[in-house]
Amino acid sequence: MSGQAGHIIVKNLTKIFARSDLNATLVALENLDMEILPTEFISIVGTSGCGKSTLLRIIAGLETATFGQVFCDGEAIRDTDPRRGLVFQEHSLFPWLSVRDNIAFGLRATGKYRSSVELVDRMISIVGLQEFANSYPHQLSGGMRQRVSLVRALIVSPNVLLLDEPLGALDSFTRMNMQDELLRLWNEHRNTMILITHDVDEAIYLSQRIYIMSPRPGRIACEIPLRISYPRNRSSSEFVNVRNMILRKLDFAKEEQEDYNL
Amino acid sequence: MSGKTVSIPAEATPAPKGALSQGRTPTPWELRQLESAPKSKSRASADRVICGLPIVMAALVIAQYKLAPNVGNAITTDTYTYFILFMAFLVSVKFIMSCFSKTSYEKLLAKAPLYTAGFLLFALYDYATLKSGILPLPYFPWPDRILNGIYEDRALLLDCIKNSLILLFSGYFAGVFAGLLTGLASGLSSRVRYWVMPLIQILGPIPSTTWLPIILIVASSLFGGSVFLIALGVWYPVTMTSMLGVLNIPKANFEAARTLGAGKTRLVFKVALPATMPHIFQGLTQGMSVACTALMVAEMMGVESGLGWYINWQRGWAEFAKMYGAVIVICVTFSIVNFLLSLVKRRVLRWQEVNWN
Ligand SMILES: Nc1ncnc2c1ncn2[C@@H]1O[C@H](COP(=O)(O)OP(=O)(O)O)[C@@H](O)[C@H]1O
Ligand SMILES: [Mg+2]
Repeated sequence: MSGQAGHIIVKNLTKIFARSDLNATLVALENLDMEILPTEFISIVGTSGCGKSTLLRIIAGLETATFGQVFCDGEAIRDTDPRRGLVFQEHSLFPWLSVRDNIAFGLRATGKYRSSVELVDRMISIVGLQEFANSYPHQLSGGMRQRVSLVRALIVSPNVLLLDEPLGALDSFTRMNMQDELLRLWNEHRNTMILITHDVDEAIYLSQRIYIMSPRPGRIACEIPLRISYPRNRSSSEFVNVRNMILRKLDFAKEEQEDYNL
Repeated sequence: MSGKTVSIPAEATPAPKGALSQGRTPTPWELRQLESAPKSKSRASADRVICGLPIVMAALVIAQYKLAPNVGNAITTDTYTYFILFMAFLVSVKFIMSCFSKTSYEKLLAKAPLYTAGFLLFALYDYATLKSGILPLPYFPWPDRILNGIYEDRALLLDCIKNSLILLFSGYFAGVFAGLLTGLASGLSSRVRYWVMPLIQILGPIPSTTWLPIILIVASSLFGGSVFLIALGVWYPVTMTSMLGVLNIPKANFEAARTLGAGKTRLVFKVALPATMPHIFQGLTQGMSVACTALMVAEMMGVESGLGWYINWQRGWAEFAKMYGAVIVICVTFSIVNFLLSLVKRRVLRWQEVNWN
């Protein structure tokens, strides 16, 4: 369906924020380069405040780059596009719409609702929420809300799915279930996945490549390819080795942050 | 630990009543029964008595009216008797229903004290006027006279209600429409806000009825002028609440909608508008009370029809019974209007996490 679409290239990206409170500016991202291939699942980890969300929001088209450019399938990104879906950390479901209507929102917005009404029902059953189709978001648990957010973004079959700590607010059981859910959806849809997480295990469990970001200004500190076959075993020696390596690198990143603070 | 066996107190683990043991989930009513503290026998029978109290009170009202001696040689009719009987009939229907349906029993139990107080008020007023003369004629006609006044003038009153409602809703909807337009626009666009804010700050705090004398002179039609007056009063709260509502919408709502492919129009009508609805309804309720006030002022000062005009007119003739009658009719009419508005509100805002009880 998406074929070879979903190719993201970030070139020399710099983002500077104006800080109205201090009458100063803040360099959130500096000269950032990365390339994500179609159908690839990558993760970005880094300490909080290092610019992960900013990077994702620029790729989504919600924020504009100060310098440099981001391309999606050869086109410079200027605005949001339903081909690049975004799932937020906090539930950003529309509280006034039922689960069904939340999920159908993207189809309606892109004028595809009429031709794919049954797709909504299929999506609802994929995440096992048939009984809650007519419930409102406040009647759902945190995990259910995030599942709705996921399929709401997926239903318009985006080439790229941007996930900003989508499981960050969930308890560890729900989170592990949702990680399997994510892999299942990725296998089915074969879109490019860019996941931000502060959970190193989650990044190793899910992705083919991990970017580690260093803070202030945000940069790619290093890039770690993972060749472990799916489904991954969290206690295998490969898994544990990678985890130890990443934790060491993150420590290094922390030292750097302290230098910048001085 | 010692070998003592721990016994579980009986009331801590109530045996599942019917519903659960049959393997189905309880209905909301059963759930409330399961979770609420069990009622004692005496409490349950006291509740039964409370449900019957309005009927007893109604009987007392009629007994006092028919049996107690009147002050002076007052002429009385049976209009009041029939009226109370009719009210008592309605309450009795509810009482009979409550014997068969648990939900209507709970509803009646909640309302019974209010109904009883209502009948008591009738009894007290009847006593103070007709039976004792503490409140003398002509300023304080007794209920029977007021009801007869309403009955005599029923055709005119109906016409007045119609005219009042037409004027009220013409002004109200015009004001709501204009208020939503300026409110949403200035919430969504800082440029519109820049130009509209001064207007709001100048016009807002002035009661719209202040402009009545000017409107009486300037307006070519009194009806049109009054519509404008009411609309102006409604416009302010609706503008303010819808603007603040839009400004308070979490940014994530707009961003999620944009990443899902929503265009400008959809962002306004499918995101901003529904997200602001709770605020807008505050403005709509506030606006309704402003509109009712403006309506009365307009009708008493200029417009020659409607309930406000009727009150003034009857006062001119010293027909106090009819004046009071009109006050009652106004109360009932406005209550019904506000009740309908609250029904719409509940329906539209059913997605909100609010306990309406
Ligand atoms: N809209 C904004 N205005 C000003 N500063 C911002 C804005 N958004 C983010 N920042 C700053 O940019 C830095 C990176 O933020 P963010 O991308 O949210 O980090 P992360 O997601 O990695 O925790 C932070 O220091 C934050 O204060
Ligand atoms: Mg973040």
